[in-house]
Amino acid sequence: MIQSYISEIGRSAKSYCEHTARTQPTLSDIVVTLVEMGFNVETLPAYAKRSQRMVITAPPVTNQPVTPKALTAGQNKPHPPHIPGHFPEFPDPHTYIKTPTYREPVSDYQVLREKAASQRRDVERALTRFMAKTGETQSLFKDDVSTFPLIAARPFTVPYLTALLPSELEMQQMEETDSSEQDEQTDTENLPLHMSTEEAGPEKENSSVLQQSSSLAGSRNGEENVIDNPYLRPVKKPKIRRKK
Amino acid sequence: MNRKKGDKGFESPRPYKLTHQVVCINNINFQRKSVVGYVELTIFPTVANLNRIKLNSKQCRIYRVRVNDLEAAFIYNDPTLEVCHHESKQNLNYFSNAYAAAVSAVDPDAGNGELCIKVPSELWKHVDELKVLKVHINFSLDQPKGGLHFVVPDMEGNMAERGAHVFSCGYQNSTRFWFPCVDSYSELCTWKLEYTVDAAMVAVSNGDLVETVYTHDMRKKTFHYMLTIPTAASNISLAIGPFEILVDPYMHEVTHFCLPQLLPLLKHTTSYLHEVFEFYEEILTCRYPYSCFKTVFIDEAYVEVAAYASMSIFSTNLLHSAMIIDETPLTRRCLAQALAQQFFGCFISRMSWSDEWVLKGISGYIYGLWMKKTFGVNEYRHWIKQELDQIVAYELKTGGVLLHPIFGGGKEKDNPASHLHFSIKHPHTLSWEYYTMFQCKAHLVMRLIENRISMEFMLQVFNKLLSLASTASSQKFQSHMWSQMLVSTSGFLKSISNVSGKDIQPLIKQWVDQSGVVKFYGSFAFNRKRNVLELEIKQDYTSPGTQKYVGPLKVTVQELDGSFNHTLQIEENSLKHDIPCHSKSRRNKKKKIPLMNGEEVDMDLSAMDADSPLLWIRIDPDMSVLRKVEFEQSDFMWQYQLRYERDVVAQEEAILALEKFPTPASRLALTDILEQEQCFYRVRMLACFCLAKIANSMVSTWTGPPAMKSLFTRMFCCKTCPNIVKTNNFMNFQSYFLQKTMPVAMALLRDVHNLCPKEVLMFILDLIKYNDNRKNKFSDNYYRAELIDALANSVTPAVSVNNEVRTLDNLNPDVRLILEEITRFLNMEKLLPSYRHTITVSCLKAIRVLQKNGHVPSDPALFKSYAEYGHFVDVRIAALEAVVDYTKVDRSYEELQWLLSMVQNDPVPYIRHKILDMLTKNPPFTKNMESPLCNEALVDQLWKLMNSGTSHDWRLRCGAVDLYFTLFGLSRPSCLPLPELGLVLNLKEKKAVLNPTIIPESVANNQEPVISSNNHGQSVGFQNTEDDHLIKETASSISGHQQGVKRKADMPLGSPLEPGQILEKNEDSKVKLKIRFSNSQEEEEIDMDTVHDSQAFIYHHLNMLERPSTPGKEQSSGEITMHPVSAAPLSVFSKESNSSKHSDHHHHHHHEHKKKKKKHKHKHKHKHKHDTKEKEKDPFVFSNSPASARSIRSPSLSD
Repeated sequence: MIQSYISEIGRSAKSYCEHTARTQPTLSDIVVTLVEMGFNVETLPAYAKRSQRMVITAPPVTNQPVTPKALTAGQNKPHPPHIPGHFPEFPDPHTYIKTPTYREPVSDYQVLREKAASQRRDVERALTRFMAKTGETQSLFKDDVSTFPLIAARPFTVPYLTALLPSELEMQQMEETDSSEQDEQTDTENLPLHMSTEEAGPEKENSSVLQQSSSLAGSRNGEENVIDNPYLRPVKKPKIRRKK
Repeated sequence: MNRKKGDKGFESPRPYKLTHQVVCINNINFQRKSVVGYVELTIFPTVANLNRIKLNSKQCRIYRVRVNDLEAAFIYNDPTLEVCHHESKQNLNYFSNAYAAAVSAVDPDAGNGELCIKVPSELWKHVDELKVLKVHINFSLDQPKGGLHFVVPDMEGNMAERGAHVFSCGYQNSTRFWFPCVDSYSELCTWKLEYTVDAAMVAVSNGDLVETVYTHDMRKKTFHYMLTIPTAASNISLAIGPFEILVDPYMHEVTHFCLPQLLPLLKHTTSYLHEVFEFYEEILTCRYPYSCFKTVFIDEAYVEVAAYASMSIFSTNLLHSAMIIDETPLTRRCLAQALAQQFFGCFISRMSWSDEWVLKGISGYIYGLWMKKTFGVNEYRHWIKQELDQIVAYELKTGGVLLHPIFGGGKEKDNPASHLHFSIKHPHTLSWEYYTMFQCKAHLVMRLIENRISMEFMLQVFNKLLSLASTASSQKFQSHMWSQMLVSTSGFLKSISNVSGKDIQPLIKQWVDQSGVVKFYGSFAFNRKRNVLELEIKQDYTSPGTQKYVGPLKVTVQELDGSFNHTLQIEENSLKHDIPCHSKSRRNKKKKIPLMNGEEVDMDLSAMDADSPLLWIRIDPDMSVLRKVEFEQSDFMWQYQLRYERDVVAQEEAILALEKFPTPASRLALTDILEQEQCFYRVRMLACFCLAKIANSMVSTWTGPPAMKSLFTRMFCCKTCPNIVKTNNFMNFQSYFLQKTMPVAMALLRDVHNLCPKEVLMFILDLIKYNDNRKNKFSDNYYRAELIDALANSVTPAVSVNNEVRTLDNLNPDVRLILEEITRFLNMEKLLPSYRHTITVSCLKAIRVLQKNGHVPSDPALFKSYAEYGHFVDVRIAALEAVVDYTKVDRSYEELQWLLSMVQNDPVPYIRHKILDMLTKNPPFTKNMESPLCNEALVDQLWKLMNSGTSHDWRLRCGAVDLYFTLFGLSRPSCLPLPELGLVLNLKEKKAVLNPTIIPESVANNQEPVISSNNHGQSVGFQNTEDDHLIKETASSISGHQQGVKRKADMPLGSPLEPGQILEKNEDSKVKLKIRFSNSQEEEEIDMDTVHDSQAFIYHHLNMLERPSTPGKEQSSGEITMHPVSAAPLSVFSKESNSSKHSDHHHHHHHEHKKKKKKHKHKHKHKHKHDTKEKEKDPFVFSNSPASARSIRSPSLSD
């Protein structure tokens, strides 16, 4: 009952206020509503001043969760001028400001080099020792085979391949240095790079020639821009007349 | 041999002219390493009565010969298979003569050949009309030992996947090893070449590839080549393999081939070639003569570069990626060399062997011009100096290199090279080292000619030769014109005089017709009163390898007022030369001093002599004489020369001279040079080593840090922490080379205890430790390898207490550190191999150094494992070098045997050659040395090696001869027991001296045949036997037949068949063949009869003494009765007259003195000999030639 009564008051008051082209109901809107609903407005002040009225205490502000002071490190940053004031404030600085927690980096060149060198040496030694332990070894001393183990020499089937081709590591390294040095050293670096691109051009041409000539199936038409190299020509079919 | 050389041009030694040849190889079997094919030669007789055609062929099995489709009889006889049939005459002098005779007996330049084809009688009339003959020869090759080299890796997959390939190779004219031909540089013809190969393979050969056709089953294809430019057979080559093909992006006529997977390297390596082409075409103003050019890079190469008509075969090890610095210039040099030889050597060929120097000279000379243009004048002059030093050292050591040998009547007295242990009449008898030096001298002499007539004229002459040749080559059907493509010494000299109008005859006489170099000793005094420089120049022309120089000599004097050139006339008796000086000594005036090149510099003149205006003096600064100069001037003059002379040669000379002046001033001069960036890097590198030597000499007074250390620190170490080297950056090549060299030189420093200073060792170890190549564009493998070399250089002999055994416990702590590094490096190589395994090579060398210095027990096992087939060739060579060294130091018989068996059995010809070469350079003992290794078995083994074991490879055989010479000398090896009888024959003087132990009757019987067979047997015999040939043939065929039977009986089953033997079989079964022995051998046979008897006698004689005679003698005499009166050419050995005395002594010595002492040893020897005999009996390792079996056995049979 009370609920519908109150909501009816609210609804009507809102209609009155909207009727007068406002958005917020004023006291007079409510008075008109009450009057409309047949309530004696005159009695209201008296009711409000009655002696045994119930007082609803204000919510306890004091024990509101004290915004963790420990975390609010430092002052919230004020808004910069381009941000309107109504925007929310910046969060606490601790949520976005990094605090360096590691030690001062060792920037001493000497120590770094030392470290890199000994690290690499350790890795190499461990690796070679492991390889030596797991495989056949040769030794320089007859009485001792473990102090200076040499991985046994094993002949290759195709010895020149390992000897001539750069190892994968070197290839990788070369690519890295190539790309890194490209912007650093333009004067010297560009020459070989240009050359390689130039080389790449005719190669493509080559392959296209190959395709072309194979599609033409032997009937070469000697275009000037096409490389006519006998080794690139297709292999001919045997002549049938050979049968005797 | 004695060809007339005149203006008339070329006269062919053959009674016919070859115009065209077809070579067709139908089948190549990689598994069995065999080749089947035929050749067809189109020849025009030039004389009416041509009934024999002599061709060259070696190791080919010939099935059938047809002339104009008629079956023709043929004889195959190769005296070079086994040079000496007298097993007993083991002196080198005898061998060399016999070998030279054998080679010229088949020499195509003398119209001879191994294969003699009888023109069928039906065609005689045809021949008389001088009509064309077509000679068709079917042949096959089975497991060729030379000429063609098969590389078949032992792995899974078919031949193409395995990268199997085959290529032709050899030294000089070696084409006869793989197909019958006229193997001469002077017989030109056009060619049609056909090769049928697996479809996955490519056959690369000379001329234009006309077409490629599949066979009917589509599994193979045939490559058809046409070579229309007349070419000598010796310039024909072949390479077949699963090659990757790269058409040169700059020149589409040029095609490059390499083995699978190497294409990226090939692209990089050959990307430079077009510039070489452009250069040569420009200077010669002549287009490249062939319509195409092919480069093939193959494994197990015979030589690094081999040039053939329109193609070159290179070692695959020349390929490199863009990251490699050191190999790049070397490879480019090889490419340029190959291309130079295309013009002179392939296109233009030579008339005879004595004209070889012109071709080698011109190609070497234009290659030098290319070098000057590409690498700069400094590099060029450095190279010239290097070559000059080399040839001078070689000539002084061995006694002269003759460029243009002209042979007189064939008498021994005329032998122009009597100081040598081999004949220079023929390329195939030359020592390889001699031939290398020959080429070197040839181009130096060309340069001398250029100095004389100017470069412009020189190039005009070349252009003239080339244009004459190209006109001639276009005359397709006028084969007589083709001789214009051959160059001769006289023709070359004539065009020089035509073009330049200058007479260069004295120059030619001095350097070309005569061997030897000039040796000057110079000193000077300054005459203050007259203001004259008194220069004294002496010559040494009595030592071997020297000659007297008469003519102009340039002397450059740097004075205070400038540099002045003076040309002195060196005459017979004038030693002193007065040279007026231009400037008074005036050291107070501060004025710049003008140099030779016009530059003016400030000098600190405080060091020089106050009275003399001379700064330095140079004799023959332009190297326009082939000479060695030893000049004396004071140390400050050398220092000035080093600092201020701008010529790199002068700087290098000064550095060498300063080694003798270990003073602070020298030190300062050298350090200054080291620091000077404008200075040529090779000079700076040389200065490093000189500085190390000076520092060692000054060790007691040296102040400051070890030499070069602070310099290295300043140049290559970090500014902030001087003990750490910068991360590698090799962009500046000069400093890269310096960075590599300085540690190596520093490691040579020694302190007062003659040890490498600890500081230096730690420094080098730190360099290794902190080496960081991650940011580098280039590979650091050479740098790391040199750091290991530096470690090895720092090793000094171990202090050993009473020869204790080397163990780990008593290892020197420094050495332990070194060993640690070496171990790590060597092991890392297995995981991350470096380019060309440079690091492994250095490690192996370092280990050998440690062994040699007694830090590590000496043991060849490690090296032997690295020397095995299947390792990279550089590694194998390094390992073998260590084994050779071990053999010498430890006198190990076992290792020597191991090496020699490798010489016989290794699949790679280069390795075989190299082992002999290294053994010769670092011999286990020499002729004048007592050594336990020097025994009869070894003599026998080596003798067999050179006599018959190396008949398939000229270079190898000459290598064996060199080794034999080094070990035993020219005369009979001293370790052999002296023959009890026989006569001493001095071949040079044609005198026979009776061995005092011999019975007198024998002399009369034997002297004559011996001489005839030795001296003029084979060479003379060939000319005059043509007529009575037919008669002899029948007679000899009978004996030949008998021999065949006999030989077969002797032949153990499964022994490899030689061509000769096959013939025999044919003779028995199918084709009726006739065996004809060359006249020489007939003579020899006569000889052999007596020899045989005498051998029998000796054998019995020796049996009585319970001591076998010479090793290696076959047990032929068991069946023969003893002839009491006989003598022995067997014992012929040339020794000087004192030999008799010696032998007497030896004899005595052997019989009585040592009897007791060596009883045990004696027995052992005996036993050993028995072994060798048995060995010899079994597989006929070397002596399975048609000739060999005859040598001793046949007479016994026919008896």
